[in-house]
Amino acid sequence: MLMTSDLRVGTVFKSGKDIVVVQRMLGNKGGRGGVVVKMRVKNLLTGSTSDLGLDAGEKFEDVSLDVHKMKLSYIDGENYVFIDQESYEQFELTKEDLGDNADYITPEDDFDAEITFYEGKPVGVVLPISIERTITYCEPGIKGDTSGKSSKPATLDSGLVCQVPLFCEIGTRIRLDTRDGTFQERVK
Amino acid sequence: MTLDIVCRVVDNYGDIGVVFRLARALSELPTAPRLRLIVDDLGAFNRIEPSVDPAAPAQRVRGWTVLSWSGPTPASAAAFELAYRGDPARVVIECFACGRPDWLEAMLFDPACEARKTIVNLEYLTAEGYAEEFHRMPSLTRSSSVRKHMFLPGFTEKTGGLILDRAYMGARERTRTEILEGIGIDDGPLLEGLAGLFWIVVFGYERDYRRIVDDIAEFSRERPVLALVAHGKSAACFSRAWEGAGRPFQALDLPFMRQEAWDEVLVASDFLVVRGEDSMARAALSGKPFLWQAYPQDGAHQLVKVAALLGRMRPHFSEADFSAIEAAFLAFNDRLSDGDDVAGSERIYPLLSLGAEGRAGFEEFSESLVRNGNLASALMTFLREIV
Repeated sequence: MLMTSDLRVGTVFKSGKDIVVVQRMLGNKGGRGGVVVKMRVKNLLTGSTSDLGLDAGEKFEDVSLDVHKMKLSYIDGENYVFIDQESYEQFELTKEDLGDNADYITPEDDFDAEITFYEGKPVGVVLPISIERTITYCEPGIKGDTSGKSSKPATLDSGLVCQVPLFCEIGTRIRLDTRDGTFQERVK
Repeated sequence: MTLDIVCRVVDNYGDIGVVFRLARALSELPTAPRLRLIVDDLGAFNRIEPSVDPAAPAQRVRGWTVLSWSGPTPASAAAFELAYRGDPARVVIECFACGRPDWLEAMLFDPACEARKTIVNLEYLTAEGYAEEFHRMPSLTRSSSVRKHMFLPGFTEKTGGLILDRAYMGARERTRTEILEGIGIDDGPLLEGLAGLFWIVVFGYERDYRRIVDDIAEFSRERPVLALVAHGKSAACFSRAWEGAGRPFQALDLPFMRQEAWDEVLVASDFLVVRGEDSMARAALSGKPFLWQAYPQDGAHQLVKVAALLGRMRPHFSEADFSAIEAAFLAFNDRLSDGDDVAGSERIYPLLSLGAEGRAGFEEFSESLVRNGNLASALMTFLREIV
């Protein structure tokens, strides 16, 4: 069974007869009883998408689907082409299929992603929890502030804007968590 | 319609307090639903509503069926069976995402029963903007025959509003002498003397209350004060500060009170120091000046919640009055944890001595909340749309 806290972009789960994939995490709010999560899901049977609020208490049935490890081959406009490392077969996913994950990817990436298949079609991507990105823009760094307690917005080479500690500068390579886009550490 | 209202008591009496209040408000509606209340801590329920038997797993209280979360025992199996005979659980109000007991879960998710069931997660009260965003939002369960939705109380008309139960709204009619008699003070002259003072309720978390006591002492030189010290976390801390200051005003330790008696005290008072969401909602509805203490959260996140409430209050006050209110609220809540030695920079003298315009601001805020409507009515309207 999957708890709400196990769900992330690309997770496929069952709700009754429907099979849904998480496309976007639209924010979470901490309540006294737990976190309430807002997410956009796509119903793989009907193709419809909807925004949902999920509280921490609900459990869902995991769906056993084919999962293949692949690397990104190239990006063609709104389409992301991945290549199976064993069969060398190529599969195309749309930016919509990738959901929030599209914000973490650049054409140069070489990491393994897990592509989920449903009825022979790729329907979702799960990225490694931790990936490296380069800051392409942020306000100048503050030397000496290594506490990491204060933060500023930074634009990454994938286009994603995330919060980074004040000591970061343009060109700094950072590691971030793809589950929520949080800064993990500076890569030395 | 029959509603199963599910409550797990997390701490203190806030959760069960909201459930009890909601049950009363629902029962007061012109087309009142039948109610089954499923509660994990009947002892806590008993303290705010003494007619609840803490040892009875199935019982009738005020026309409601009250059931223990732990489910039927051999001795109570017949009572549970009777509670659901011909009227199985179809609409569940899950309070604060507390989950459901296994026996109710089995009933809701019985694969042999394809009838549509609905669960509504009634969330905690917040003034933050996300209440509007999440209110009435669809959710999911593991079964297509069990649908779930979110329902958020709040301070705007785009949320579920606040519970406007008749007992609370009618509590304004009780006189102070009746209230004092209700808590056991029956000496005539003493009663009259206390009734005429400026009443300040003190119901907070553990804290160093010296600054607040000093401010009340200063104010009491202009207007004699009676501090009504609520039973619980802040009582000893406040009394210590009050003793240390040489008992500069009159103070009365309140016993633990059933909810309706507590409501009467809140409404009859002139100034309220309250903690938690339910008492904050009551304070806001009372139209009296109040100071809210939110429970501490990681990274002092309670300040976000306090700032959100202040944002809802702001339009009802002049800039000068609001500055004093804002400063007091933020200083009182700026801490990482609670404890006897946790002190802040709060000044409540400016709030105690608010002029007519400032006091009218609190009344105006209360009126705006009443205009948003009764949460109980809004919940039933929503259920009629989705069930």
